[in-house]
Amino acid sequence: MSNKRQSMMPPAPKPPTSLSSSIVIAEHASLTGTKLIMIGSNTVIHPRAKLNSAYAPITIGSTCIISERSQIGILKEPEDEEEAEPVVIENGVVVEVGAIVEARRVGEGSVIEVNARIGKGAVLGKHCKIGPLCEVAEGEVLPDFTVIFGNGMRRIDNSGVEDLKMKMVARQVEVLRKLIPSNIAKFQ
Amino acid sequence: MSKKPVKGEYIETDTGNKVSRRSQIIGTTNIILGGKTVIQAEVIIRGDLLRTYTSSNPGEKQGNPVAVAIGRYCFFSRGCELRPPGKLYKGQFSHYPLKIADHVFIGPGSIIEAALIGSHVNIGANCVVGKFAIIKDYVRILDGTVVPPNMVIPSFSIVAGRPGRVVGEIAEGEVDGMDLREVYREVRN
Repeated sequence: MSNKRQSMMPPAPKPPTSLSSSIVIAEHASLTGTKLIMIGSNTVIHPRAKLNSAYAPITIGSTCIISERSQIGILKEPEDEEEAEPVVIENGVVVEVGAIVEARRVGEGSVIEVNARIGKGAVLGKHCKIGPLCEVAEGEVLPDFTVIFGNGMRRIDNSGVEDLKMKMVARQVEVLRKLIPSNIAKFQ
Repeated sequence: MSKKPVKGEYIETDTGNKVSRRSQIIGTTNIILGGKTVIQAEVIIRGDLLRTYTSSNPGEKQGNPVAVAIGRYCFFSRGCELRPPGKLYKGQFSHYPLKIADHVFIGPGSIIEAALIGSHVNIGANCVVGKFAIIKDYVRILDGTVVPPNMVIPSFSIVAGRPGRVVGEIAEGEVDGMDLREVYREVRN
């Protein structure tokens, strides 16, 4: 890969970051934008994940997993004068492949599955699960334990296994730490 | 003008695989390609997600680790992704190998986390195949299907919907069209 042609454009300026020293971030992850990106301890960022803080700051809690091709952060310039609301992802959240998260808040232990899309300003409660290809509209507020599945059907999950799920995410992070070479220095 | 010869889109390997220069293959040492497989641009293959669970049986041979095994005449369209599935087993989290047999077509933008895909399987565009799904031989999965995790799809099924359900059967006469040799030959630089 070393003989790759270099782009004539100067590299995009790095966004200001506050990264915990225990995170795992792959070299091919991309952090872009101008506002602050904060990432808590033991979080894993897969290669080709995109975090864009061009329009609003991003805060990611601890023990989260952000998979490849997912896009975190506000994607479009806000239309009115007001500044876009920051994107906050709480602890233990799993964002799977290709998901788009523009939410104001994603509650603890939530799972956002493959190619799901969370609109701007939406608020997800704790331990929500958004199924593959499902959407949450802009500004929508979901109560805790909501599950969205199929063609946008909803239910409340009261199985009470959220503690086990959080433990599983922690175990998964430990495994990914061994598998994904981390390169924090590139992003600081 | 540059004097360098224009490089083609695909790199052809000794065994006849055509791999796009713009594919994103991670962990190449853990991926087996059976030969004559086409990998288009922007395809992601996660060979780095290896099995970390070690079986307690010491007699088991420790060969080369394999994360993704692919047979012959497979075709991976633009922007699809192959990702070994992971689960918690006996208190340990581990990924497990993703095995794909021969003549498997995967449409653009589909994300595959299956455990096993049989021969002559056709997966449409923008599908999601859940973790540890098992797809047997001669199966057609229509565009935009979400195959739920752990689903086992029997041979000769047509699957569609969100979540995916078996909606029909493949008649014996249709089987001939699922061979990918011709498709492979048509891919040129």
